[in-house]
Amino acid sequence: MLDKCTRALGKEVAVGSVDQELRLLWEEDKASTNASLMNLAVYSEEDDAILKNSEIVQAITKEHACRAILIGIDRDASDASIRAWITAHCHLSRQGSKSVCCEQIAFQLTGRATGRLRNTVFAHLNSDLPLVFWWQGELSDIFTERLYSLIDRFIFDSAQWSEPLLSLQKINRMLGEGVGLAPMDLEWTRSYQARLALAALFDDPLAAQALEYTQQIRIVVHPDHRMAGMQVLAWIVQSTGWQRSRDLGLCGDQDNSDTEDRFYFETHQGSDVTVRVEYDASSATLGLVELSSADCVVRVSREVGSAYMHQQLEAGAHQIDRLVPAASDDASELVADQLSRGGKNTLYRTMLPVYLDLLK
Amino acid sequence: MKNPFRKDLVSRSRPEACTVVIFGATGDLTHRKLVPALYNLQVEGALPAGVRIVGFARRDKSDQEFRTGLEELNKKVSRSGHDDTIWSEFEQTIHYHQSEFQDEEGYQRLAERLDEIDRERGGKGNRLFYIASAPSFFDDVLEHLKKAGLNKNKEGCWARVIVEKPFGTDLPTAQHLNEVVSRTFEEEDTYRIDHYLGKETAQNIMVLRFANAIFEPLWNNNYISHIQITCAENLGMEGGRGGYYDKAGALRDMVQNHLLQLLSLVAMEPPTDLSADGVRDEKVKVLRSMRQWDTPELVAENVVRGQYIAGHVDGEKVVGYREEDRVDPESMTESYVALKVLIDTWRWSEVPFYVRMGKQLPKKATEISVHFKEPPTVLFNALAGGVPGGNVLVIRIQPDEGISLRMVSKIPGASLRLEPVKMDFHYSTSFGKGSPEAYERLLLDCMAGDATLFARRDEVEEAWKFIDHIEHAWHNSEEPPPMAEFVAGTWGPKEADDLLKKSGHKWRRL
Repeated sequence: MLDKCTRALGKEVAVGSVDQELRLLWEEDKASTNASLMNLAVYSEEDDAILKNSEIVQAITKEHACRAILIGIDRDASDASIRAWITAHCHLSRQGSKSVCCEQIAFQLTGRATGRLRNTVFAHLNSDLPLVFWWQGELSDIFTERLYSLIDRFIFDSAQWSEPLLSLQKINRMLGEGVGLAPMDLEWTRSYQARLALAALFDDPLAAQALEYTQQIRIVVHPDHRMAGMQVLAWIVQSTGWQRSRDLGLCGDQDNSDTEDRFYFETHQGSDVTVRVEYDASSATLGLVELSSADCVVRVSREVGSAYMHQQLEAGAHQIDRLVPAASDDASELVADQLSRGGKNTLYRTMLPVYLDLLK
Repeated sequence: MKNPFRKDLVSRSRPEACTVVIFGATGDLTHRKLVPALYNLQVEGALPAGVRIVGFARRDKSDQEFRTGLEELNKKVSRSGHDDTIWSEFEQTIHYHQSEFQDEEGYQRLAERLDEIDRERGGKGNRLFYIASAPSFFDDVLEHLKKAGLNKNKEGCWARVIVEKPFGTDLPTAQHLNEVVSRTFEEEDTYRIDHYLGKETAQNIMVLRFANAIFEPLWNNNYISHIQITCAENLGMEGGRGGYYDKAGALRDMVQNHLLQLLSLVAMEPPTDLSADGVRDEKVKVLRSMRQWDTPELVAENVVRGQYIAGHVDGEKVVGYREEDRVDPESMTESYVALKVLIDTWRWSEVPFYVRMGKQLPKKATEISVHFKEPPTVLFNALAGGVPGGNVLVIRIQPDEGISLRMVSKIPGASLRLEPVKMDFHYSTSFGKGSPEAYERLLLDCMAGDATLFARRDEVEEAWKFIDHIEHAWHNSEEPPPMAEFVAGTWGPKEADDLLKKSGHKWRRL
C-alpha cells in the first residue's frame, strides 16, 4: 500500500541528503515563503499511517506554520530499513497575497528502531523552534526519557489507549520527574468547549449558589470516549474539592458496568452527590454534562454531528438557553485548536491525579 | 461568589454578563464594528451568557427593523462569516430604544426597560453604556444617564461607560468632558476607547519589549538614534468624511490619540505590574515628559502641516484636499502632519521621535521603526562605502502585521562587501488564524473590568496639552507656520523631509 501511494509524500530522497534536498526544493520555488513556528513530529506505529498523517498535517499547516516530521514505524519487520520523502504544504496567506509553505519530511522505519528514531527525528529539527511531538496510538516502550526529555509539547490521545490507566501513570511519572514538557491529551481537548460552557454557567450567581447543593451529576459520552467523561468528572471534582465517599469512610464508593459508571461524593456542605457516567453509542463524543440540585439544573449538551452545544440553566423562572461552539471531532482540528492555545496545560496536570484515582 | 471552574481555564480576566446600551445605535460604528464584534464573540462562545444589547437612537424603529439592518451588514463585515442559526439566537438579545438624546423621559423609559431586562434575565443588573453618538451629544447622554440614576452601581453590580473618540477637540473640551464624565461615573468605571490599543500588534509592543531580554538593554539613547511612527492612508475624503475631517485635521484625528498612544507604549518604562494603572502610570509619564512646542517658532521648527493637491493614487486620478466633497475650498486644515517629539527623560534624552500621518499617500501602512545608532567608525566603517545603514527594528501595526529587523551582512565573494538584509516575521504567515477585531477584545475587557487597553483621564489631557500648543500656533498666532503642499500619491511635502534632514535623518521608505 505504502509503495503505491508514496507520491502523496513527495519526493523520495536518501536519508543522508534530506537537508540538501530541502534546500533544492526551495531553490526551485522562489515565489513561496517558507514559514515555521515549530517542529511538529507525528509518530505512529500503524500501517501506512504516514499517508493519512500527511493529509492531516496539510490541514494543520493552514493555521500553524511548522516543519513537519512524519514517522511511521513497523517494529515487527525483521529487516531494519529507513526511507525518507520530502514535500511542502502550501497555502495562500490570509490576504491571499503570498503562498506560504511548510516543509514536511516523512520517514518510514522498519525493525528495531528506538535509537534510530530518536537520532532521525532530532537530526532534522529546525533549531531553536519548539518540538511538538504527536504520539498516535498506544504508548510503546520507545517512549523513553531520552526521547521525551527533548520534547516541548507532547500530544497524545488517551481515547486510543487500551489501558489508559497504565499509560497515564507513565505520563504522570514523567511529569513528576520535573520534565518541562506540556502534556496535551486530545481527549481533554474534546471536552474543552464543554468545560468552558459549563464554567460560564457557574458565573451566574444562582448556579454558583446551588453548586454546593448538587445532588446528581450526569455525564453521557460515546463509548469510544469514556476518558472524556471521566476527565470532565475529574475536573469537576478537582475544581470543587469534593471528597469521594470512600475517602470519607462512607459506604458506597462506585459501581461499574459496561454502560455506566457510578461514583459517590460529598460536597463541603455535606450534600451527597451521585455521579453517573453513561456510555451511549447514540451519543455525541461528549453528549451531556448536567449538574442538578433541588433548585437548579445546569446543563451542556450536544447532538451527534452538531457544531454547537446547548448551554442551559434552569433555576425556577430564571432560564438560560443558548448555543455555543462545540469542539471539533476532527483530529487535525483538535490538534490545531490545542496548538492555538499554547501554555503548559496546568489544568490538565492538576486534574491528572484525581483522574487517575477515578480510573483505579 | 467565586466560580471554582474558572481557575486556570482561560488566561484572561473574566467578562461578566451585562446589558450593553449603545448610544448612536443607527450609526456606522454600531453596524460595522460593535455588533459584529459582539456577534463574533458569541460565535466563539466568549460572550458571557445573558448579555443583552439595547440600541438607543433617535430614529423610529422596531426591534425587528433594527435587527434586520444589523443582520444585513453583519453578513458583509463579520470576521467569522454569518451563521443563520447563531444569528437567529443572537438577535433575540438585541433591542431598540427610540429616544432623542436630550429627552429626559426617554432615559426614564430606558431605565425601566433595563430593569425589565434584568428581571427577565434573572441575573445581575450590570450595565455597559457605549457612547458612540456624535460628540456634540456626549454631554447630554452623560447628564441624562445621571438624572435617570443609570450611572449608579446597583448592589453587587456595575455600571460602566465607554466613550468613543474624539475625546474632546482640545484640552478645555477634553477637560470639560472629563468633568462631565467624572460627575457621572467613577474613573474606574470610565473606559475611553482607542481601538489602536486593541490591535494585536499594539499589544505585542509590550511583549516584544519586556518578554525579550535582548531589546530592553538597547532601548535607550545609548543605542537608539531615533524612532519613526508612520500612519499612511491611501484614501482621501471618500464617503462624505470631508465634513468631519475638515474640522478635525490629521493632528487631532490620529496623532492626539492613536499615534501618541503607540508612542507611549514604545517609550514607557517597564511597569511594575500588568494592572491597568500599572501600565497607564508609565504611559502617562511619557506624555508628561514630551517637550512642549509652545511657541509658533518652535512649532514652525518641529512640526510640518500639509495638504495634498491633485495627483494619482493607486493609478487613479484624485482631486486635491481643498477640492474634496464637504471641504472648505480655503481650508487651513492639515491632511498631513509630521512632527518631531522629544521626550525629556533619562532614557530618551535627545532621541527624536518622528511622527507622521497623512491622507492620499502611496499606500496604507501604520508602523513604528526603531533606528539604532551606527557602529563605531572603525573596522567596516573604514571600508569604501562604510556600513550600509544601521539596524532598524520595524513593528508593523497594519495591514501586514509583523516585525522585521534589518542588519548588515557580507555579500558572498572574495571581496568584503556589505549589504543590508532583513529578518522578517509576518503574523499572517506564521499564524494562519486571523486576529480578533480590536473591538472584540476591548468590549470583553470592559465587561471584565480591565481598563489596561483604555486611555485614562490624565493620558488624554496630557496628549491634548501637547497638541493644543501646535493647534494654537497654526490657527491663533499672528504669524502661523505655513501650510505645505504635496502631490497626492507621494510621501508628503519636502518640508517633512527637511524636518529630518536637519538632524541627519530621513524617513524610512515603506
